[in-house]
Amino acid sequence: MIRKKVMFLAALGLYALFFVFVWTQALERETNFSVYLEYAKVIFKGWVTTLGISAVSLLLALLVGLILYAMRISGSLLLRYLAEIHKTVVFSTPLLVIAIVAYFYIGNAFRLDSKFWVGTVTLALYTGAYISDIYQAAVESIHMNQWQTAEMFGFTKLQTYRYIIFPQVLTGILPPLAGQLAMTIKSSALLSYMGTDEYFNVTRTVMSISFRYPEGFIIMAIGYWIITMPLISLVRRLEEKLNYRLQA
Amino acid sequence: MEIKIEHLIKKYKEKTVLNDLSLTLKDVQVLSLIGASGSGKSTLLRLLSGLEGADAGDIYVNGIHMTGPDRAAYRKRIGFVFQDHNLFPHLSVRENIYLVLEKVHGRSRIESKPEVDALLEQFGLTEHADKLPHQISGGQAQRASIVRALAIKPSLIMLDEPTSALDPVLTYEVLKAIQKLAEEHIDFIIVTHELGFARTVSDYILFMEEGQIVEQGDVSIFESPQTLLFQQFLDKVLSFESHEKSDKK
Repeated sequence: MIRKKVMFLAALGLYALFFVFVWTQALERETNFSVYLEYAKVIFKGWVTTLGISAVSLLLALLVGLILYAMRISGSLLLRYLAEIHKTVVFSTPLLVIAIVAYFYIGNAFRLDSKFWVGTVTLALYTGAYISDIYQAAVESIHMNQWQTAEMFGFTKLQTYRYIIFPQVLTGILPPLAGQLAMTIKSSALLSYMGTDEYFNVTRTVMSISFRYPEGFIIMAIGYWIITMPLISLVRRLEEKLNYRLQA
Repeated sequence: MEIKIEHLIKKYKEKTVLNDLSLTLKDVQVLSLIGASGSGKSTLLRLLSGLEGADAGDIYVNGIHMTGPDRAAYRKRIGFVFQDHNLFPHLSVRENIYLVLEKVHGRSRIESKPEVDALLEQFGLTEHADKLPHQISGGQAQRASIVRALAIKPSLIMLDEPTSALDPVLTYEVLKAIQKLAEEHIDFIIVTHELGFARTVSDYILFMEEGQIVEQGDVSIFESPQTLLFQQFLDKVLSFESHEKSDKK
């Protein structure tokens, strides 16, 4: 246990050393965070917006993923193709392009001018495509004989999903889901191109008026860490708790 | 049990697995299906269980028509034991049993607890009841799956090569457990490669080859095979067994 802790700290130190090196070599003047303190209130508001966008789009993305997955396993060929086309478009287009098109054209076409909602829904539709793949892989990883056994014992389709497939899928989706969720939070930075006053955009504005760029980037990174790291560790802990395979 | 099969045909794509098979059985308690791999014996079992449908022909088990409206109700009364125990991996042995009882048969935990505990005790699983399938041995898991099948108070139990995934020691342990079913006069059908076991417990045996029943009868068929195919099958299996014995000496 102690050995583990020592090794972890050593690894952390080694990793940090790289940035200390960069810091000493590349920065010409003393760091000064005072201007960021001045704008702390605005920056914090931006951070809260990012938190909001992330939370809402994550929840929506989980739902979108489920809907896309349901479409793909449905009997309707039309729904299956629709889901497939959406996935292909999402996989092949940079999020930045999608964000700009969504805000300036799609949002405009539907007369939507809430930057928050256009951004959040765009992010959810984008991430949902990836999440539907995670769902599909997890369901497919469940052995045929589980379905067969359930059928043999007379479980209904719904019961089979509810009591046999879903609990096993849950443990399978958590690790890839953690990565995808963190990715979504980070991707929310791209919504700054919509002019949304989220964390990235606000911090960047302060950077450009103060010319304190390195400090701004440090603050940015830390702001995202505060959201992503607890989320990742929460999902890990959930996985340890739920994954029956990890129980010796 | 009572089984009546008339001109049964089952195909997988182009391959005919069961070829115009007919059979009438009455008052059989333990039925064994034997034969080489690919002879169609497991397929026949699945059709008898109602898990799969036939391409042509009729099957009646205890008077119930397998394509008729009573099939769903019949299926719920069948206890099935698979080759690889097929326990639900995320549930303990006990929960595997209760899940079926509660969700499919609508029996409460309190009501069924005494029976479940007694079955677990009988099959030596009491101390393993709260473990997950991957935490117990293959033999224990297979016995647990027998308990799961028994707990629903089945009218008939079907076992599909229940020992073929196990090593000899565990095989013995599971066969002992199955023998208990025979002693308690529970009807069952078993697909097995364990000829010694089939000979001990069965009161009727079907030897299959290429989707046909080649030979059938009580255990005496082992003493006096009527067909060359069955003779050859026995020679192969038994000669290997005697080789093994002489190797050990």
